Amino acid sequence: MHAARPPQIVAFGGGGFSMEAGNPLLDDYVLSLVQRERPKVCFVPTASGDADHYVVRFYRTFATRCETSHVSLFRRDRGDGAVEGDLAAHLLTRDVIYVGGGSVVSLLGAWRAHGLDRVLRSAWRRGVILCGLSAGSLCWFQEAVTAFHGAPTVVRGLGLLPHSNCVHYDGEPERREEYRRFVGDGVTPGYAADDGAALHFVGRDLRCVVSSRPRARAFHVAPRDGEVVEQPLAVSYLGDAERDLSAVA
Amino acid sequence: MSIRDHLRDPQIFAMGGGGFTMEPSNPALDDFVLTLADRPEPRILFLPTASGDPTAQITGFYARYARRASATHLSLFRRHGSARTLADIVLEQDIVYVGGGSMRNLLAIWRAHELDELLAEAWRRGIVLAGLSAGAMCWFVGGVTRSGGPLETIEGLGLLPGSFSVHADGEPERLPVWLAAVRSGELPGGWAADDGAGLLFRATRMVQVVSSRPGAAALRVDAVGDELVRHRIEPELLGVAPTIAERPVPDEIRELRELRQAMRR
Repeated sequence: MHAARPPQIVAFGGGGFSMEAGNPLLDDYVLSLVQRERPKVCFVPTASGDADHYVVRFYRTFATRCETSHVSLFRRDRGDGAVEGDLAAHLLTRDVIYVGGGSVVSLLGAWRAHGLDRVLRSAWRRGVILCGLSAGSLCWFQEAVTAFHGAPTVVRGLGLLPHSNCVHYDGEPERREEYRRFVGDGVTPGYAADDGAALHFVGRDLRCVVSSRPRARAFHVAPRDGEVVEQPLAVSYLGDAERDLSAVA
Repeated sequence: MSIRDHLRDPQIFAMGGGGFTMEPSNPALDDFVLTLADRPEPRILFLPTASGDPTAQITGFYARYARRASATHLSLFRRHGSARTLADIVLEQDIVYVGGGSMRNLLAIWRAHELDELLAEAWRRGIVLAGLSAGAMCWFVGGVTRSGGPLETIEGLGLLPGSFSVHADGEPERLPVWLAAVRSGELPGGWAADDGAGLLFRATRMVQVVSSRPGAAALRVDAVGDELVRHRIEPELLGVAPTIAERPVPDEIRELRELRQAMRR
C-alpha cells in the first residue's frame, strides 16, 4: 500500500502552528494530502533542542484530529512521552513527519549522530509526507542558506531535493541579497519562500506553492545570462480569497 | 591574544555530577571553578548544548554566576541576535562551562558547528574547560552514555588521555558498564567520579580531586592483563563559603560588568 504513494515534501518558508497561532492554513493543507481519517503525525523538534513548550504546542494543535507522537533525541533515556525504542519502525509508519524550526546545523548534526537522516530518507521514499518550517524546510534540500551565528552561510542538507532553499525570504532583507550572491557564486539554483508560503514537492519537482497569507511570495532563483534572476512563482492563497481579492497574485 | 594567555596551563575540571544544575543549594564546585581562572570577575560562558539549551539550565547558570562573574551563555538552537562568530564568543572567555545531557548530541552538534576544534583551541590557550556528566566525559578519550537509551560506550574529543565515567554513586548501573569496557579494552583505563566529585587536570595530568559533599569519591581504574586495578581517591572536601555568595558587588565591578555587557551587543 505504501509503495503506491509518491515521495512528497511541503517546505514552509515560515508558518504553521509554530509561527502562525490561529492560522491553521498551512498545517491543514499538509493534512489534506493524507488519505486517512486520522492522519498519523509525528513531530521532530530537534532543531529547537526538543524544547518542551514547542512539543506542547504541537500536541495542542494536532492531538484532537490526528494520531500524534514526537521524537526526542535529547531525552532518549527518559520516558517523557516521546517515542521509545525503534525510531525507524515508528517513523516509517507515519503519514506525516513534521519538522520544527530552530538551527538547521544543530538539527543535521544530531540527526546524523542518531542515524535519523537515513530513516527520514527511507520514509520519504515510502511516501511518508515530510514537512516543516524554517530549519524544517532547509534540511530537505541539497544546499540551504542559514544565518544562525554570524553572517549567512550555505550548509549541505539531506539532499532529498536537488535544489537550494532560502526561508523567511521577506523577513530578513540581507538574506535575499546573500542568497542571490550565493547562487551567483555556484550554489545550486533553488527556491526561496516568504513566511506563510509553502513549497509542495512531489518527487523532486515543485508541484505548487500555497500560502497562509495573501501576500506571501515564493521565487525560483537561478543564474541566467550571467545574472541571478528571481522568477516569481504562482502562489495559491489557501484562505478565503473573497475576503482579500486584491492580494491573490 | 595577550602574552598572558600563552603562559596559562590548559586546565579541565571534570565533575561526576554536581554544580548548579544538580546541586542548586551547594555552590562549592561552581565556586571552585571560578578560582581556576586567575583573575577576579572572570568571563564564564555556559554551553547547555547537551540538553538542547533548556531554559531551566540557563536560568540556573545565571542564578549561580551572574553576581560573581561576567556570565553569558551560548545557544546552538536559538538565535542570539548577534552577528559575532562562535570563535569571537568562545575565545574571549576565561572559563567555558558545559552542562550535562546527551553526549552523543553534544559532540555531533559541536562538530556540526565546528565548535569541537574551537574548544580544543580554547583549552590550548588556557581557557578553563569545566563541566559535569556529558560535559565532563566529552574531554576524554571516551565514556559511558545513555544518549541512545541504554548505557553504552562513546568516544569523546580526546583532549585528556583515559576514559571518564560519571554519577558513579547516583546511577549505580553505569559503573559496571564502564568497568567492563575498560576490562575488555574497549575504553582505556581512567577515572570514575561520584556526584559531587570533580577532577582537575593541568595539561593532561590529573592534579587534584575535590568534592562538594562528604562521602563523594573518585576511582582510578586500569586494566592490567585480565585484571582491573582499582584505586580509590579521597577528594578534598571543599568548604562552602556563603560569604562569597552573599558578598555585595562593589560599584566599580558592577559598572565594569555593565560596560562589558554593552560592548558585546
